[in-house]
Amino acid sequence: MANGTNNTMSMSSVLPWIIAAIALVILPFVFTGGGSITIMNQIGITIVLAMSYNMLLGQGGMLSFGHAVYMGLGGFVAVHVMNIVEYQEIWLPLPFLPLVGGLVGLGFATIIGSFSTRKAGTVFAMISLGIGELIAACCIIITVFFGGEEGISGDRTMAPPTFGIEFISQKEVYFLIAFWVLVSTFLMYLFTQTPVGKMANAVRDNPERAEFVGYSMRWVRFVSFCAAGFFAGVAGGLFAINFEILTELNLNLNASFTVLLATYIGGVGFFLGPIVGAILFTLLQTVIGLKTDLWALYTGVVFILTVMFLPAGITGFFAMHLVPWHLGRFGMLLKPYAKIFLPALMFVIGAVGLTELVNHSRHHGDEVLMSLFWVEFNTKSAVPYIVLVLLTAVGFWFSRLFAREVKEAWGDATFVEGQGR
Amino acid sequence: MAAEALKLDNVKKSFSGTEIIRGLNLSVGQNERHAIIGPNGAGKSTAYNLITGRYEVSSGQIFLNGQEITNLQPYEVKRKGLSRSFQITNIFPKMSVFENVRCSLLWAMDYKYSFWHMVGKQPELNENAEKIIEELNLKERRDTLAGVLSYAEQRALEIGITIAGGSEVILLDEPTAGMSVSETEYIVGLIRKVTEGKTLVVVEHDMGVVFDLADKISVLVYGEIIATGTPIEVKENQAVQEAYLGAAMEDH
Repeated sequence: MANGTNNTMSMSSVLPWIIAAIALVILPFVFTGGGSITIMNQIGITIVLAMSYNMLLGQGGMLSFGHAVYMGLGGFVAVHVMNIVEYQEIWLPLPFLPLVGGLVGLGFATIIGSFSTRKAGTVFAMISLGIGELIAACCIIITVFFGGEEGISGDRTMAPPTFGIEFISQKEVYFLIAFWVLVSTFLMYLFTQTPVGKMANAVRDNPERAEFVGYSMRWVRFVSFCAAGFFAGVAGGLFAINFEILTELNLNLNASFTVLLATYIGGVGFFLGPIVGAILFTLLQTVIGLKTDLWALYTGVVFILTVMFLPAGITGFFAMHLVPWHLGRFGMLLKPYAKIFLPALMFVIGAVGLTELVNHSRHHGDEVLMSLFWVEFNTKSAVPYIVLVLLTAVGFWFSRLFAREVKEAWGDATFVEGQGR
Repeated sequence: MAAEALKLDNVKKSFSGTEIIRGLNLSVGQNERHAIIGPNGAGKSTAYNLITGRYEVSSGQIFLNGQEITNLQPYEVKRKGLSRSFQITNIFPKMSVFENVRCSLLWAMDYKYSFWHMVGKQPELNENAEKIIEELNLKERRDTLAGVLSYAEQRALEIGITIAGGSEVILLDEPTAGMSVSETEYIVGLIRKVTEGKTLVVVEHDMGVVFDLADKISVLVYGEIIATGTPIEVKENQAVQEAYLGAAMEDH
């Protein structure tokens, strides 16, 4: 019996990885539009970084404000190594460079983790904040290594060719990144299945009890911290390959907050959460970032809304629908969802439109014409203001009205006899 | 003769100048079932916290199977073969019942900080966890998050986590607190079953449970043991009658 279940288990556990691998190969042929490969490369790097961050936040219960440090340090060393390789002082094909980044991340995580993981909670968070600030400051001061504000740049194409590939095109780099995304994700998944990975959850849930079943909470945290540092470093190596430049901006507190936001929006309680978060966040940053200079504002709003209404993140939002789905009551939700969709959309369009309009008249007041949601209009007239205010108000009013129905339907769809709230 | 399973030698503990434990001497023999009783605030839970390394002792020594364990870290005490439960349920609320039990087995089964074993692929580990869940009567709740179990189920899981590591000395802190009569019966039966052949120390308020379970009773009043003996000896002890038992027995 044990044998049989094991075989079916391994098949069903391997399948998602095969699908992921195929998807990664197909993607660049599906999204061929201008810049899509560049965006996917960025997403890939963010996925590795966000997943490594979730080893701390989601799985280990460690709130770090300085995770970009390990990616940045790994990346800086990777660029330096890239330059050394260029002058042929060492022989290292480019696909191995992320490993260099990883080892650097691991090294620094070992040093810093040795004292920062002593306590979790506020103490850990504050130390990570301090380290983040410290390294960012060093970045500006120690110009020999970090290159000051211009940073350090390299040339990936000068590495010895790998099977004839010199990584000149973005697509070649894409496959290198995709390979590392798959390998890192797989290894991080395996980590969650190890004794120390399981105990990381236990320590997160109840550190004291973990000690009473024989584990030192500090040591469990330390091991997770080192592993997270390693994969952050891998992300740094990939960053170095993709952008061929690293600056202080890549490891300062802002960069660390970005990882936090992406991971949290995706959902810290789920293995797939950071992947969803990385995709969404990078799209927000790149696609919306091209359309408006207010993208950071929208990111902030999305983050606050996530924290307030979807503490389990976007992934959690979908995961919680599994309950009505399994109860066969998913249909009960469709009508209220459909009903609230239009007013919610109206509200979002209205609110975003107003924000953009105000921003436009404040900062580009001399340009009379403005284009918003594919509509061009005169900003000096009162009409767009009236339309947008109406959209916002009506959308808001009906959203609130229908929200009650959604709530009731949700209650009915998930109600289970004898199970408390 | 084998050393005592657990021995406390003149253990003292003060909190900001106030002595809570005032020279505690206790000796629990191998495979003994020893109950500690006493009024609220007598220092029973504090004594447990001192034994298991949750608090540091102010003075005195603690021995486990003849080996000193004074002021070791909780995980070191556990590794030496002493395991405890808590008065206030202390489980891993966001993990399933199965994961709770499996995590409690990991160190004892020598997996330590391994990151080259997949816990899902360790047949012995998983079978042991399943066995314990069956003993706890929690089989139907195997995949439920521990945090949403009923109170009695959580108390059972608490005991499961405590015994899972196979420790030879088990300390239970008020295992039946806040339970109905039938739940109490279930838990007492469970305790009997899972601590078979082990040394058991139990802090308990329910005198029915105490006289049912224990071979030996110690009475703790204001940080000192005022009497130790068999249930009958303790019941008849004048000092105990006056200090505690008289009032407590009337309740039952």
